[in-house]
Amino acid sequence: MKILFSLLFTFALLFAGDATIEVIKKVDTLPSITIEDASINYNETFKLQFFKSLVADLNVLSIFNVDRHYRILKFDASSVLVENKDMNYVLRYKMFKGDNDGLNVEIKLIHDDKNVFSKSYKVGRQDVYMFISHAIAYDINEFMGEPSVAWMKRKVIFSRIVGPKKTEIIISDYSLAYQHIIIKGGFNIFPKWANYEQNTFYYTTLDTIKPTLKKVDMKTLKVSSIISSDGMMICSDVSGDGKTLLLTMAKEGQPDIYTYDVNTHKYKRETSYRGIDVDAQFMGKNKFIFISSRLGYPNVFSKNLKTKEIEQMVYYGRSNSACSSNGEYIVYKARETSNAFERNTFNLHLISMKTDFIRRLTATGVNEFPRFSKDGDAILFIKNYKNQSSIGIIRLKHNKNYLFPLKYGKVQSMDW
Amino acid sequence: MKSIVLSSVVVALLVFSGCSSKKPTVDTKVTTETPAPQEVEVVEVETVSPEDSMVDSSSNASDTSGQMSMSDIESKLPTIYFAFDKYNLNPDMQVKVSKAAQLGKTTASEYNVKLEGNCDEWGSDEYNFALGLERAQTVKKALVAEGIDANRISMVSYGKSNPVCTAQTKACYAKNRRVNFKLLP
Repeated sequence: MKILFSLLFTFALLFAGDATIEVIKKVDTLPSITIEDASINYNETFKLQFFKSLVADLNVLSIFNVDRHYRILKFDASSVLVENKDMNYVLRYKMFKGDNDGLNVEIKLIHDDKNVFSKSYKVGRQDVYMFISHAIAYDINEFMGEPSVAWMKRKVIFSRIVGPKKTEIIISDYSLAYQHIIIKGGFNIFPKWANYEQNTFYYTTLDTIKPTLKKVDMKTLKVSSIISSDGMMICSDVSGDGKTLLLTMAKEGQPDIYTYDVNTHKYKRETSYRGIDVDAQFMGKNKFIFISSRLGYPNVFSKNLKTKEIEQMVYYGRSNSACSSNGEYIVYKARETSNAFERNTFNLHLISMKTDFIRRLTATGVNEFPRFSKDGDAILFIKNYKNQSSIGIIRLKHNKNYLFPLKYGKVQSMDW
Repeated sequence: MKSIVLSSVVVALLVFSGCSSKKPTVDTKVTTETPAPQEVEVVEVETVSPEDSMVDSSSNASDTSGQMSMSDIESKLPTIYFAFDKYNLNPDMQVKVSKAAQLGKTTASEYNVKLEGNCDEWGSDEYNFALGLERAQTVKKALVAEGIDANRISMVSYGKSNPVCTAQTKACYAKNRRVNFKLLP
């Protein structure tokens, strides 16, 4: 019997790290955290704005029960507020103006009446305060010994439809609190970061006779044309070293997948099916997954970059039209209703290449354009529901989804 | 009995042994204390649009010559509609393409044509763009079959980004699943 128990225990341990297994409820076991503001210089509106940003970031960490009460206390106060005595953690911060109106923030994390972590931050302008908030949340997460949330500090680039054939390309933080329109006017879509440092990006312009891939160097603002194709031209993915692109082009009328060498400017056709092959995403160094209609409906396949070997990756659903991969995991978009006349539902599903489990990640509306974070900890996606377009984040290990709505327009595509 | 239970569990273990724990890589980089977002100037606006060219062309039209302007001809070209998630031509639409081909061989013979594929609002992913392109491709094949030179035809897909109707009704969705003809000088 002991052997049986120990085997079952081992079995449970093996499954503990599988992201396709859903965590149903662990809210009660999370430690509590509250925030105390000790800021000077700034007006109440801004103080509250920063507080809300911090509450939102701590919530997205998914490792605390976050208290939403706004309370004020001096930074050097010897103990926490009476109301916060029962809290496991207290985060106290002080905002103050630095040189040239820069924003400075000092924080301390208090646990059992002891100061367990402290740090200072500064940023050149007050209106980019959200990046300090994200950095604080990132550091607290690190201090707690949780898996990294480095994606929290990365920038999101997305295109927004503002009218027929009219779009904007925007750079934002993950929560859309900071937004900077980098390309305004024209019809420009499918922006994609060109490197890990996020200082260069690709996008497709449809303002030219043929759809054309362009590249923008954000330091010099130099815009260069990379390659054109009749019909379709999209940069679907960029390799980790930034040297190889996966493109969807229709050089011969049909959308097919091509690899493009950034250094030699040479391209190679990877698929030649007479139907639709699109949305290629690197899966490791020698493979990519893509969407193909070769079975008569869109589904997820993979192709080896060195051979002609093509393999079906998903065996569920009759209309799986977008995908992203990280390690052994694939997230894909599946149409769950097929109705020309009413609202349809599209949900995201997660599968592992090593098990048969399938996990549905969303429940309502049109959920699409899934993109794994580089470390696989989170999935970014676009949600359209009841005329509201949002960018969502799924924390796989915590079974939580967070939505950040767009003030106007609809998100066309994005990358982070 | 005990051995059956044991062997079942061992088999289960073997089956699931591939399911290794997935530990996200922890970034060991030293965190910067100064989050300094890259602030970038707005890139100059790019506003080259075929529509503008057509308007110019239209304003040059001369009634006295008896010639139709490019935009006049374009207004006579049909819009080809498609069924939900489909890119094949039904008989009604085939008739419209034949009429367009006739125009292409007569009044519009000096122009090239750009076929613009469009979709309804269900999906902003690449597949939806590809569906728009397949619709344009279907019309191109039909035009070529009617005798139009393939070199005069170019294609583009706008996905769902170029709707003519934005209401959430079946009539509206149907209006957006279409291919438009645009003449090019």
